[in-house]
Amino acid sequence: MIGLGHYLILAALLFSIGLVGVIRRKNLLMLFFATEIMLNAANVAFAAISSYYHDLSGQMFAFFIIAVAASEVAVGLGLLILLYKKYGTLDLDNFTMLKG
Amino acid sequence: MESLVYTALFAPLVGSLFAALFGMKPKSLWTGTVTSLLLFVSFVASVLLLQHVMEVGPVHVTLMDWIVAGDMRIPFGFNVDQVTAVMMAVVTLVSTVVHVYSNGYMEHDKGFNRFFSYLSAFVFSMLVLVMSDNFLGLFIGWEGVGVCSWLLIGFWYHKEDVTRDVNPSISPSWAANEAFIMNRIADLGMLVGIFLIYWNVGSLQYDEVFAAVPQMSHTLLVAIGIFLFIGAMGKSAQFPLHTWLADAMEGPTPVSALIHAATMVTAGVYLVIRAHPLYSSIPEVGYFIALLGTFVAIFAASMALVNRDLKRIIAYSTLSQLGYMFAAAGLGAYWVALFHLAAHAFFKALLFLGAGNVMHAMHDELDIFKMGGLKKVMRWTYIYMGVASLALCGIWPLAGFYSKDTILEVAFNEHTYGIWFVLWLTAGLTAFYSFRLVFLTFWSDERYKKYGFHPHEVQKYVLWAMAPLGILAVVFGWWKEEFMEFVTQLLPAYEVSEHTHHMVPILIVVTSAIAIGGIVVAYVLYHKRLRRNPKIEASLPYRVLSNQYYIPILYEKAISKPYAELADIAWKEIDMQVVDATVDGIAKLVEESGDETRKMQTGNLSDYLKWMAAGAIILAVLAIVAVVKS
Amino acid sequence: MENILSVLIFFPLIAALLGILVKKETIRVYGLTVAAIEFLLSLWLWFAFDPANSGFQFIEYVPLVSDFGINYYLGVDGISLFIVIMAALITLIGIISLGEVKDLKNMIISLLLLETAMVGVFVSLDAIVFYLFWEFSLVPMLYIIGYWGGEKRLYAAIKFFLYTFAGSLIMLVGMLYIAYVYQSVAGVWSFSLTDWYALVLPISVQKWLFWAFFLGFAIKVPMFPFHTWLPYAHGQAPTVGSVILAAVLLKMGTYGFVRFSLPLFPDAAVAYIVPVGVIALMMIIYTAMVAYAQKDMKQVIAYSSISHMGVIVLGTFAMNAVGITGSIFLMLSHGIVSGALFLLVGVIYDRRHTKLMSEFGGLASVMPRYAVVFGIMLMASVGLPLTIGFVGEYLSLAGFFRVAPVMTLVGGTSIILGAVYMLSLYKKTFFGPVTKEENKKLFDLNGRELTALIPLVAIVIWLGVYPKPVLVPIDNSVKALVSFMQEKAQTPEAKAIIHVSTSSKEAK
Repeated sequence: MIGLGHYLILAALLFSIGLVGVIRRKNLLMLFFATEIMLNAANVAFAAISSYYHDLSGQMFAFFIIAVAASEVAVGLGLLILLYKKYGTLDLDNFTMLKG
Repeated sequence: MESLVYTALFAPLVGSLFAALFGMKPKSLWTGTVTSLLLFVSFVASVLLLQHVMEVGPVHVTLMDWIVAGDMRIPFGFNVDQVTAVMMAVVTLVSTVVHVYSNGYMEHDKGFNRFFSYLSAFVFSMLVLVMSDNFLGLFIGWEGVGVCSWLLIGFWYHKEDVTRDVNPSISPSWAANEAFIMNRIADLGMLVGIFLIYWNVGSLQYDEVFAAVPQMSHTLLVAIGIFLFIGAMGKSAQFPLHTWLADAMEGPTPVSALIHAATMVTAGVYLVIRAHPLYSSIPEVGYFIALLGTFVAIFAASMALVNRDLKRIIAYSTLSQLGYMFAAAGLGAYWVALFHLAAHAFFKALLFLGAGNVMHAMHDELDIFKMGGLKKVMRWTYIYMGVASLALCGIWPLAGFYSKDTILEVAFNEHTYGIWFVLWLTAGLTAFYSFRLVFLTFWSDERYKKYGFHPHEVQKYVLWAMAPLGILAVVFGWWKEEFMEFVTQLLPAYEVSEHTHHMVPILIVVTSAIAIGGIVVAYVLYHKRLRRNPKIEASLPYRVLSNQYYIPILYEKAISKPYAELADIAWKEIDMQVVDATVDGIAKLVEESGDETRKMQTGNLSDYLKWMAAGAIILAVLAIVAVVKS
Repeated sequence: MENILSVLIFFPLIAALLGILVKKETIRVYGLTVAAIEFLLSLWLWFAFDPANSGFQFIEYVPLVSDFGINYYLGVDGISLFIVIMAALITLIGIISLGEVKDLKNMIISLLLLETAMVGVFVSLDAIVFYLFWEFSLVPMLYIIGYWGGEKRLYAAIKFFLYTFAGSLIMLVGMLYIAYVYQSVAGVWSFSLTDWYALVLPISVQKWLFWAFFLGFAIKVPMFPFHTWLPYAHGQAPTVGSVILAAVLLKMGTYGFVRFSLPLFPDAAVAYIVPVGVIALMMIIYTAMVAYAQKDMKQVIAYSSISHMGVIVLGTFAMNAVGITGSIFLMLSHGIVSGALFLLVGVIYDRRHTKLMSEFGGLASVMPRYAVVFGIMLMASVGLPLTIGFVGEYLSLAGFFRVAPVMTLVGGTSIILGAVYMLSLYKKTFFGPVTKEENKKLFDLNGRELTALIPLVAIVIWLGVYPKPVLVPIDNSVKALVSFMQEKAQTPEAKAIIHVSTSSKEAK
């Protein structure tokens, strides 16, 4: 039987994969993918807990996250394209203008 | 009578301010004449007051409030009683003479007007000192005379600093500062005494304080007595605060006559006499005062024995005579101390003024070894100085005989034979060094010719001006009985025991004998020519004496220099290296820690994300730990 | 003239703002006029002041943030009255003394702004308003030191600013805490000093708050070991900056002790007499020694300021009317005397562009008038009777003697050590032969300098001979303060040490 625990473990695994991706990857596009994975890990956990407690607000929040993520990707991708057009690369090591 | 009090007090101030108006202008005869006249007015007022006090009684006036704070209410109040009247008469008389004298002495000085301004200001301060009816008023005068003394010692401020080998007091300005600072040390003691009085009596008025003396505990009285006496020690240059007096001889000679012989230095004695109800009830402190006075008497006399400096010899003799006064006051014979104070003021001022004449004649040369035979050219000065020296030695029938002999009688009467013996011995020393000075200056061979001096007598009016002092140095002692009757209306009468009474003739003979003995020795040694014995001069005791027991050098090495070095350390090592460095260190710490942590900001998003993840993980772990624990 | 205090505060401010429009040629006259009017107004304040009334007078009260009890609350009593007058006087003297400085216009505007801040500090009765003026006073001073100063002016200015600012922030925390306690007791917020006075704080709280305020005030005074900003500030500041800094700004610290620390925390103040006294003794002796070691005339005066402030602190913590009245009088006298001394150093600096004592010698014969004025101020500085310096010093020490005789004896060395460094300064500068060629042709005080200095000389002598008109209003307010403290004190020890004068007790 697949219980709440399995869903949460899946969510944790997904989140970890996303986190490692965020830390390790250097390409900004890959960073985006990794953050999407993390967001979706949260969505899985929200949906699972929502169904466990028979409370819809969790699922509602998951939808909310999906909407926010979509709009974020829209804006973010636009910025990435601009960045690529300007510098010809999306490698993070090239963007250190904020160095203190 | 009020107007007389104010006339006596403020005439010198008016004179001083008048002269100050012309202080920066070249010499104008006016200033000298006007200040001298005003001083004479003050003298006449003082004499009238003296007469009034004799016939009617003390006068007390209050001018206005000075300091009013909390319960403290200190007025400018002036009280002319027997002691004050005597002091006023002495001070104004000597001052008037010195003012007139200075007209001649300072004739060619650039700072003529300035000099008279300072001199009159001094007299004003001195009058405030003796006339005030409370301790803080006395303190005004006390500090005021200190400042005037500073101004006058350093009158020739433009002289350069030299080393001690050339001039023992380095320079006038140095001597002035030394005098001021040493007096300040003593003044702190006096101030503490005043605080003690205030918080225990609630007033600083003499009458209230002395009325409260019987109610105060013995320890408290001793403490007050000691602290006030510390103040007196500074002003009267008692050991160990004595070095400034000899150095103060850097000032113009009239200043030495007025301030450092007749008036200011006796302020300490005046204070003890004034506070006699206090000191009478603490005889042990009085005994200590007498012991110290006796010690200073012989200590100073011993230094005078070998000195070659005309003015310094007289300065040491002043110190020695102050010791006599303190001995008398300490033993409870206040009126005797006052009597000697007055007599001493006359003959010592005369001696100094005579020395001034000699200096004038010898172009400021002070070394008595370079003089000699001056009686031929300076007959009147010789007579004055001879009379003054005889008076100083206590030769019958001059003033010193009466006052000094009475002090010795007191010492004998108190069964303090040690004090008596030392004072007796000092009388002999006094006679010796006084006449060593007189013979070496006025008798013996005319050594000055070798050095190319052309001495001449001073102006006639200057000699006339000295006459009152000359006369008083002779006749003042004859009024001993009247003087005693007058001042013992206020001061305790001092009764000698039957036994002493019988001894008096013998004592007089013994004392006169040693005084005459001292003169004879001086005569034998020096009346023909200057005898010098290189062996003696090279001997240790001689060198110790001529170097003032090495005390000035000791003070310099043990106090002034270490203080300067310590001050330097305090500034450079502590203030800069520790205190300020700590402050800057804190600022630097903030700056450097910022500089270090700045490196975290690589600008690389990937690094930031790593930091963020690490932070999130730490927070998560902490949250889990917290949950588990609860 | 109901709003005289507001006028006194805002007249210079408005005048400063209008000053921007004034032409450069006329700015000196403009500045002089404004400062003179302000000074006359402050004299009017004295004239209208009722010396018999020991409480606050000319009170103004306008709610600002009523939810938090912050009000525009002004008032003046005998303690602050003369400091306000002195602030106005010193600003006027400072403007008179201004020689040819660059950007005179900005200087005068800064001075007028500073005057607003100074007057504001001394008349505010609301903690927040007080704090605003307190901090605001830093800004014009920062500018004056940082723009017109010497070589290391930026370092000195920033040090001055940050150091005093850090201290006052801690004081602000203390203020907020008192307001919080007040709110929890009374139910409403209030920053009014008079409300706070009524608040009886537990002794443990008092002790913490005492040190919080202490830091703010001690850095301002400045007390050892927080004093090191002062020599830099004085060393670098232009003459007028030093004059105002020494004469008025330092007094804000000691005034704070009297206004806040004593009545708010009487028990803590009594409990800390010994540590504070020891710090004050350190100030007196240690800085007097440091002053003696200095080679620069201005630094001697700067360190001597610290030494004298030590005596003021002693007097403040005497816990009796004699000492506190004395300390307030000493604040005035130190303001006048140190202000004058800094002006005098400025005089010689203008001529020779150096302040090193070794560069001079024998000035008394070249510049006799200068030497006379300097000599009078020197004597006032060492506390000669019949000059202004003696009255305050004597009363402060006399007051403290009741609490701690031995410490007073040690503190009394200030009269010796003060004489040591001042006389050696005078000797090095004025006595001896004129050795340097360039000193032989120095010209004596000119008209402008005399106009600035002679009023100060007159005050030094007037208040030395007859201090009563100033002492009586101070004393009345101080007596009220002391008896208030004694009533408020909780421990019997504190009640015993706080000494109400016997005559005022009888009057009650």
